[in-house]
Amino acid sequence: MNVTNSSWTVLFISHIKRDVLVNTRSLIDVISVFGFMLLIIILFPIGIGPTKEKLDIVSNAVLWISLIIAIIPSLEKMLQKDFDSGWLDQIATSPAPLEIILLAKSISHWLIVIIPLILASPLFAILLDLEFNQIPWIILSMTIGGLSISLIGIIGAALVLGARRGNVLLPVLIIPLIIPILIFGVGINEAVKIGSSPLAHLFLLIAFSLIYLVISPFVSALLIRIAISR
Amino acid sequence: MLTLKKLTIQRGSKVVFSNLNAEIKTSALTIIKGKNGSGKSTLLRTIAGFTPIEEGQIKENGDNIFIDKEQWVEKLIFIDTKNGLSNELTVLENLEAWVRIKGWNANKDNLIMALESVGMQNYINLYISQCSDGLRKRAALARLYFSFINKVDFWLLDEPSNELDDLSFLLFKKLISKFIKIKGTILIASHDIKSFNVNYNILDLDIIKQLAKP
Repeated sequence: MNVTNSSWTVLFISHIKRDVLVNTRSLIDVISVFGFMLLIIILFPIGIGPTKEKLDIVSNAVLWISLIIAIIPSLEKMLQKDFDSGWLDQIATSPAPLEIILLAKSISHWLIVIIPLILASPLFAILLDLEFNQIPWIILSMTIGGLSISLIGIIGAALVLGARRGNVLLPVLIIPLIIPILIFGVGINEAVKIGSSPLAHLFLLIAFSLIYLVISPFVSALLIRIAISR
Repeated sequence: MLTLKKLTIQRGSKVVFSNLNAEIKTSALTIIKGKNGSGKSTLLRTIAGFTPIEEGQIKENGDNIFIDKEQWVEKLIFIDTKNGLSNELTVLENLEAWVRIKGWNANKDNLIMALESVGMQNYINLYISQCSDGLRKRAALARLYFSFINKVDFWLLDEPSNELDDLSFLLFKKLISKFIKIKGTILIASHDIKSFNVNYNILDLDIIKQLAKP
């Protein structure tokens, strides 16, 4: 069979389409990410009381931590369903490289999770009393940061595949890797808030995302090969 | 000829079999028989390249099959009890996604023909979550049809006929004899042996494991 590089691009795109289709048909996962994040953001200002100064100090951190906490439960499902249904076995007995499929999976997870959050970012800004000139930066930083979280998450999901209590183990494993994303993500928004240039933080965030983009498909493919060999 | 030579396979800490020797005829149907837990599925998963071989070799006409693993898995179709179907997709979408990862041409006529070959033409747009176990199995077995369009040499099937009713078993038998005719090799792991239209060999794991004991 003649397999060319362009056919892998076709495969990559068609697998993204498949995963997006699967996820949009089980909308509950998407809604739960969005709803969870919204809940944290609603509860936080109520919890710290009606003082604007207090909220000012923590608002960006709250935004980012709620993003991370909301995404984590959805990460495990990224691979678990396909592992249980035997789809990963079918991929393993096909000429399609597992790495390409896994990259497609992270990208589709990112699209499904991050698009509703981007659409809702003005709402989040209002709830956390952020300036409107921050919104484009929130969207930009969450988009890049969200991709990193998906890429790291798929490594964690592959690692706990087939393990009991994987949902407990997963956050512990991936949160250390997410810390740089949190630091630079919050850094961008803080810099915008005080009126200085956020570019340094932005470039570092992009740099980390690119590192994860390169590492993630290979590491997770290796882990999945181990998981299906059991 | 597929030769299993001094094969030792472990799953976790459990040794499934050690020092196993067997020969499997190519271009023929072989049924792997054995008790529950005798390692039928593990043997299939090993041949499919999932479970790593601890010791020994599997050779096809003298060559180790895993020397070029990608080339090996390209020419086989593996269907086990898990089917590999997504609940959220329809029967047709599942088949299409599968044909695409195989790198084959997923044109609609072929997909419909494949589903017709297992009698699924009336269930094309049914979601897998709404399908019964029998329908799911048939949706998975529809993949076999693509062996007649593309280059496939091996079918590795784990308990394929358990959920099938009489009519779909008849269609399944038709697919088997058609594949044998084009020199395909079929390995079926099953605990009960049904009648097939073609001659078949039996590989009884229980007996072979007795022989393999040192």
